[in-house]
Amino acid sequence: MSARKPYIRPVTAGWWLKKAPYRRYMLREATVLPLTFFSLCLLAGLWALTRGPVAWAGWLDFMAQPLVIGLNLLALVGSLFHAATFFLMMPQVMPVKVRGQRLPAMQVAAAQWAITLGISLFCLLVFVFWEGV
Amino acid sequence: MSQKKRITILRYNPEQDEAPHPECYEVPWNDTTSVLDALNGIKDQIDPSLSFRWSCRMAICGSCGFMVNGEPKLGCKTFLRDYDELHIAPLENYPIEKDLVVDMAPFVERIEAVKPYIIGNDRTVEQGPNRQTPAQMDAYHGFSQCINCGLCYAACPQVGLNPAFLGPAAITLARRYNLDSRDKGKEERMALINGKDGAWGCTFVGYCSDVCPKEVDPAAAVNQSKIDSGASYLLAALRYVKGGK
Repeated sequence: MSARKPYIRPVTAGWWLKKAPYRRYMLREATVLPLTFFSLCLLAGLWALTRGPVAWAGWLDFMAQPLVIGLNLLALVGSLFHAATFFLMMPQVMPVKVRGQRLPAMQVAAAQWAITLGISLFCLLVFVFWEGV
Repeated sequence: MSQKKRITILRYNPEQDEAPHPECYEVPWNDTTSVLDALNGIKDQIDPSLSFRWSCRMAICGSCGFMVNGEPKLGCKTFLRDYDELHIAPLENYPIEKDLVVDMAPFVERIEAVKPYIIGNDRTVEQGPNRQTPAQMDAYHGFSQCINCGLCYAACPQVGLNPAFLGPAAITLARRYNLDSRDKGKEERMALINGKDGAWGCTFVGYCSDVCPKEVDPAAAVNQSKIDSGASYLLAALRYVKGGK
């Protein structure tokens, strides 16, 4: 007769609280929550735009509320944090090689930040120019 | 050797216990004492019934994986000097057989399942060895450094949540052979990688790569496999459309 009686440790709902790497991972994934709010705000804005000036003014008022501004700032910080983790993980998924040598993750991340900054600046300039017209 | 450190070990005797319980030991140590040395000291001097696996003492056999203060570590590569107090437990996400010995069968079955050997190479002995350029070898060499210690499975929360998940080491090994220029078995392996317990079960926590004692970077291999899986899905879809079905 076998004396085996393997003991299986249960995984509890709070598994992610137990280790720092798990908490960081959950924080990264949780950035989707304020981003969802931001996306819904944008959708509501589009909807208001189709509904005419009164609805649009109502949406602008809603967006100017301190709580909404706070949540959208949280979404901005969340998306920047998510981008920072994403840019650092990207070279693991798609290793970039130059002349047979793998580029360091920090260099690849810096290049991605430069592209992000470039696109953001371009959008900002277009927005400013548009306002000026 | 007059200085002593406190080590708490999670003990479990399947013939007596219903659940594991901690037991404390005071062990002598110096700057060269590894966790494995300490465990052997306890077994020799204090309690011969303590069970744990070990063999090479130099981080190559992959036998002495334990949780040390909640982190998956090789006992031979972890030193008492780096800790004030140690809590040693069997590797997480594995069934405990006795004390620090876990059931590695699920791990080995997954390794076997991905066919970790060269497939479809009809080169004969008379034709001599396969030649590879340094670049061809470099493509898979990092992933071939795995010693099957299983620490990455103890680190992976997805293994804990879904015991059927193929897991980091097995997917890495599949990737290692898929990247080998001598191999032609990629299609056979991708069936498993594409499946519901394959690469897509990974959520890129990345902790598997942090704990790997050989710096294999399983998180990279698993997430590169997702690109492979996506490409193989797209190709299959194109073939389906082209076939006019």
